[in-house]
Amino acid sequence: MMLKSLKILLISILLGVSSGVYAGDEITDDFAVDEELLKIKGDPEYGEYLSGDCTACHQIDGSYNGIPSIVGWDEESFIWVMQEYKEKYREHPVMQMMAGRLANDEIAALAAYFANIE
Amino acid sequence: MTLDRRTFMGTAAAATIAAPSVFAGAHGKPRVVVVGGGAGGATAARYVAKDSKGAIDVTLIEPTRSYYTCFFSNLYLGGFKDVEDIGHSYGKIAAAGVNVVHDWAVGVDRDNKTVSLAGGSSVPYDKLILSPGIDFVDGAVDGWDLSSQNAMPHSYKAGSQTELLKAQLASMPTGGVFAMVAPPNPYRCPPGPYERVSMIAHHFKMNNPTAKIIVADPKPKFSKMGLFQEGWANHYDGMIDWIGKDFGGGEVSVDPGAMTVTIDGETTKVDVCNVIPAMKAGGIAHQAGVTDGNWAPVNAADMSSKVDPDIHVLGDSSQQGDMPKSGFSANSQAKVCANAVRGALTGSKVFPAKFSNTCWSLVATNDGIKVGATYEATEEKIAKIEGFVSKTGESAELRKATYEESEGWYSGITADMFG
Ligand SMILES: Cc1cc2nc3c(=O)[nH]c(=O)nc-3n(C[C@H](O)[C@H](O)[C@H](O)COP(=O)(O)OP(=O)(O)OC[C@H]3O[C@@H](n4cnc5c(N)ncnc54)[C@H](O)[C@@H]3O)c2cc1C
Repeated sequence: MMLKSLKILLISILLGVSSGVYAGDEITDDFAVDEELLKIKGDPEYGEYLSGDCTACHQIDGSYNGIPSIVGWDEESFIWVMQEYKEKYREHPVMQMMAGRLANDEIAALAAYFANIE
Repeated sequence: MTLDRRTFMGTAAAATIAAPSVFAGAHGKPRVVVVGGGAGGATAARYVAKDSKGAIDVTLIEPTRSYYTCFFSNLYLGGFKDVEDIGHSYGKIAAAGVNVVHDWAVGVDRDNKTVSLAGGSSVPYDKLILSPGIDFVDGAVDGWDLSSQNAMPHSYKAGSQTELLKAQLASMPTGGVFAMVAPPNPYRCPPGPYERVSMIAHHFKMNNPTAKIIVADPKPKFSKMGLFQEGWANHYDGMIDWIGKDFGGGEVSVDPGAMTVTIDGETTKVDVCNVIPAMKAGGIAHQAGVTDGNWAPVNAADMSSKVDPDIHVLGDSSQQGDMPKSGFSANSQAKVCANAVRGALTGSKVFPAKFSNTCWSLVATNDGIKVGATYEATEEKIAKIEGFVSKTGESAELRKATYEESEGWYSGITADMFG
């Protein structure tokens, strides 16, 4: 439980929810991501290819205005958030759609790629 | 990491063994030529160069030194952006190793695999990527041709045309009339004309509140129609008269000399007229012989032409299936294409095609709406998987967040295109 609330706090900061940057993106329900999903080791090369879907909006150099930065997150946080979108626990139509079509190993691949971008 | 000769040889040998079908020309590095430095072409050139890390020679042919995005050009008309905000140079693409040539491609010799340029030279290619955007269908609007674009601008290729329309709007008399002739399907940016109507209405509300807007439309309905009409009623009540197909909106002629528009037999004197004619693939796609009718059919898996496997067509010019002709789509298609082209030329891994699109539109200050979908490649076409659209009656807070998101998207996509 402790772990989970810490994680949510961290993610909120990453997404800028607390500063209102990303309104319309609230968590709607209590949600726990399966530990097994958090442990998947993704292929960063595949992640780099898949990241093309992200970089139309999220800037690879980490700068942001209106859309949060997703570079340099730890892999577990990345997987956690994407699973929340995928399962529609986190509100946001674009992100629900983008995460919704990714397989678990594809989410992990993206996590592995973005974690290592400075 | 420094490469010594042994590791270098080792890597090269391993790559050759792993990929026997790798391109092996007699002329050194494989060559990719990209025609058109817009949403599709700039992205493709940058991604091929970036991902191949110098293994492929990339040349980008684009006549203009500054690319003005059509996206957000309506916000410029509405007074939300300056013209400098939507202009982008090619300096960072060049710095990333792309050979940027400012010239027009005027011909493609598919047998000898060369592109000829207006300046007289010719550029050889192993793979050619065409992303020349749109041109207008001749005779699409009775009374209008390109020689009338100063009297009645299309402003559907951004830059001087957009600035011209803005200047005309600014000098309109009090209570004057603005008319738009909207295009038939398919055309670039399905919500584009209606976002433009919204932004011009906003400009009038601020500067010329008794002015009127007439839209003659050959379509019975349009993208995000319910959302736009809700916004028009909320923000610009009584200002906009949209005449759809069912009310004669498709029966239009214009007289640029007399500044009149005739809709379904009724002639109106107007002060400013924005004619957006029917569209077709950019001229060079037709010259290359890869079009069938107005557009260039492509295979969904890699955006290769159905006519010539060494030519890929991206963005607005392509006939690919379900994706709308948008900058987001062109950018998405470019990445799939870049991955496939690099794989074909260097033997790098080719991943399955995935496409997506989201189009934001601004209706009024802080009133943003959006529509989007994901797509996959089938044998037949790019096919839609799942989509969403903003809802009528959303809270002001959500609409504001949607607008702010569009600002983030603009920064993101232009960084993705131009570095
Ligand atoms: C008013 C308006 C609003 C829009 N809003 C949005 C939006 O909010 N979101 C969105 O995603 N899309 C939007 N779009 C659509 C978007 O602009 C286009 O779909 C997108 O630019 C298509 O990319 P492209 O690469 O096919 O063509 P373009 O971006 O038009 O690029 C084509 C390039 O090719 C060059 N070229 C043409 N012929 C030649 C030749 N023979 N030789 C060399 N170069 C050549 C041109 O100079 C041009 O730079 C909007 C469009 C309009 C008109």
